[in-house]
Amino acid sequence: MSERMYENIQENIRKNPGGRPEKNTGENRREGSDLLLAVRNLSVAFPGGKREATVVDTISFSLRTGEVLGIVGESGSGKSMTALALMGLLKKGAVRSADAILFDGKDLNRVSAEEYRDIRGRSMAMIFQEPMTSLNPVYTVGNQVEEMLKLHAHLSKEERKQKTIQAFEEAGIRDSAEVWGKYPHQLSGGQRQRVMIAMAMICEPKLLIADEPTTALDVTIQARILALIKKLNREHGTAVILISHDLGVIRNICDRTLVMYQGKIVERGSIEEIFSNPKENYTRTLLDAVPGIHKRDDAKAAGAYGTAAAEYRDILVSVRDLTVAYKGNKEGLFGRRRVTEAVSHIDFDIYKGEILGLVGESGCGKSTTAKAIAGLIDSYTGTITPDNRKPQMVFQDPYGSLNPCKTIGWILEEPLKMQGMKRAVDRVAKAKELLAEVGLPVEYAARYPRDLSGGQRQRVAIAAALITGPQLLILDEPVSALDVTVQAQILDLLQRIRRQHNLTYLFISHDMNVIYQICDRVCVMTQGTIVETAAPRELIANPKHEYTRQLLASVPE
Amino acid sequence: MKYLVKKLITLIITLLLVSCAAFIAFQVIPGDSVTLALGTDFTEEAAEQMREELGLNRSIPARFADWMAGAVRGDFGTSSQYKQPVSQLIADRLPVTIWLAVLSMLMITVISVPLGILAAKSSGGILDRMITLITQITMAIPPFFLGIILTLVCGILLSWFTPGKYVAPDKDFSAFLHYMIFPAMAVSIPKIAMVVKFLRGSVLRQLSLDYVRTARSKGNKESAVLVRHVLKNALIPVVTFLAMVTADVLAGSIIIEQVFNLPGLGRLLVVSISNRDFAVVQAIILYIAFVVVLINFLVDLLYRWLDPRVE
Repeated sequence: MSERMYENIQENIRKNPGGRPEKNTGENRREGSDLLLAVRNLSVAFPGGKREATVVDTISFSLRTGEVLGIVGESGSGKSMTALALMGLLKKGAVRSADAILFDGKDLNRVSAEEYRDIRGRSMAMIFQEPMTSLNPVYTVGNQVEEMLKLHAHLSKEERKQKTIQAFEEAGIRDSAEVWGKYPHQLSGGQRQRVMIAMAMICEPKLLIADEPTTALDVTIQARILALIKKLNREHGTAVILISHDLGVIRNICDRTLVMYQGKIVERGSIEEIFSNPKENYTRTLLDAVPGIHKRDDAKAAGAYGTAAAEYRDILVSVRDLTVAYKGNKEGLFGRRRVTEAVSHIDFDIYKGEILGLVGESGCGKSTTAKAIAGLIDSYTGTITPDNRKPQMVFQDPYGSLNPCKTIGWILEEPLKMQGMKRAVDRVAKAKELLAEVGLPVEYAARYPRDLSGGQRQRVAIAAALITGPQLLILDEPVSALDVTVQAQILDLLQRIRRQHNLTYLFISHDMNVIYQICDRVCVMTQGTIVETAAPRELIANPKHEYTRQLLASVPE
Repeated sequence: MKYLVKKLITLIITLLLVSCAAFIAFQVIPGDSVTLALGTDFTEEAAEQMREELGLNRSIPARFADWMAGAVRGDFGTSSQYKQPVSQLIADRLPVTIWLAVLSMLMITVISVPLGILAAKSSGGILDRMITLITQITMAIPPFFLGIILTLVCGILLSWFTPGKYVAPDKDFSAFLHYMIFPAMAVSIPKIAMVVKFLRGSVLRQLSLDYVRTARSKGNKESAVLVRHVLKNALIPVVTFLAMVTADVLAGSIIIEQVFNLPGLGRLLVVSISNRDFAVVQAIILYIAFVVVLINFLVDLLYRWLDPRVE
């Protein structure tokens, strides 16, 4: 924002302390007409309490009407807090302070609670990361979208329904009249996010804040949702603030971007500037950390890691005709169980020493396959040889997978106890050895999972999987919940450990970029079957199956 | 429809199993109605003759089959103690128990739902702490003691009712209702405390969920967020608890009926058990099982309305 503009805003505030919109005098109108949002020295802090912290630290930025602004940074950088502060939706205990937050002619610092409520939803709307939980489970989605119209428009019941169905259509929901009467749990993640978008857009807000709108979705759906946001932006002139940890997503649809780190804006500029000529070290780290099939000169990706599949000849695990069917709950005392096949007649081999990738959308059966191999599912048909394999698993969620009541030391020692290692001294020694191995200080043995960051917890999970000395490690989306910079560190760690211990990995992911970076071979799964198996490079250069092509096409550039 | 048929079959099987168990239990416990009925006139011959009259000398399966055949026709036999048909005995006492249950449940819902929401809304504040303190205390009071306190305070000190002077509903219905308010209070006060505590926790849990943030982001008032969005979700676990309470109260509140001198089912059950009045006990047990199954069924329906995720 130019100094001139800012002075205009200041002038505006002085003239207009109540923050009410003023009939525009000519000068202001011409100069600031396309300025929608101007934030000056915004801070968010949690004062008092155990963890006194400033999570957003005096940031200033502005946004023009119809512009798409990206805010990028890792979790904890303050980007979501910035969004919630703009919406006035900060949690209890958080304190917002700012010299001015000018939005659409009003200073949000000075509006009454009632005025703020009216702005929320009507002229400023937000969509959230978690489409699975952001909708109220006990009302139909039609009902929930219509609530926006009840709050902000005066329409009859019939008009509301018509308009809602229209909004659904515009958000790309097929069978919109039918979806209108459905409950959130009856819709897929992508559909729910479309409902959220329809809800946010139905009052034609001037500003749409999208907080990680595609993070929880599969890549193919991710691309479509981003395209939808871009389309709505173009057609309605809605300004968008897109928050993401994923530079690929930001690059896809934003005009300008801010890079946030520890509550501060460390860099800002147009997309071209940031990507071609990053000035800050942090931005560069962020860019480097993005694993990418689109990086042309990425020697690290396939060169150092990827080894030709031909090197591996000894079969470690052989899967033949594997089918896993889930039985649904019985309905009442005499009901039948519904049976669904999650995995249907698949064959593949895992060679000793390789990293075999299993890629596909959620629900395609990749986790079920992994569980069957790990011995966590008994009711499969087909054969998995040898039978006496003892693979260990590392799961996606580093928060939920570790027992919160036990120390890290206890968690690491437990598998040893079960293996029959009787002497506590031996167990402690082994646990410490493993901690050091995964790059954590040995003192961490006395800490609890809550004291650790996501990346550190995932290191603990890896250590716990390694402690019994398995040959095969099954990694189920091990880095999906982590920030890109941490993601790269964990992938490095996995590579190092594999070389040192001669391990074999079955690596499950929905993220083609990660798969490309780490795997020797990839199996592409969809709807319970493997449709293609190839080396990652070959897969990208020459995808044979239609679904693989879809998957690759949807990877953000 | 299919669902209803299934539920009905489940009900029949449950009743069959329960009556079977009650029948067997009565064969196992020591003492019998004949010995008690004869009292000091007891002689072997007299007992034998009486058993003959009552059909008690036949084999257990035969007697059970007999009883079942009667029960299916709605004939539950004759009470050995009151010398009256069991169905008549129960029909006389059922209204008292049902009215007590209705009044208690009304009090519980009307008072505890707003209090629970209020406590959650002002969580950590002075109002919340006061509500928590009061519920903590009332939860700890045993029912008989609460009954005595109510009798003492409302009956003797404030003269709001005459302790022990129960009026039958068919004589003077308004006087009956007036009297019933106090035992209903004794039944509901501890339960109110539990429901408030339960609902408060449930609302707080819901408030931390993502959809609440969405509701706020639409521009809803805080009260609308609580009542429209949170309440229905928060009630889901509470309904189960309320159902248990309802079944409990409908089965007859033995202690409260005793304290307030109410001729309800609870008292009839206690007296009949001590007199080994098998026919009455068996019928009451069947009634209780029926009530429990019925309420579970109603809760099932309520659940489907509250939570569309339930199939």
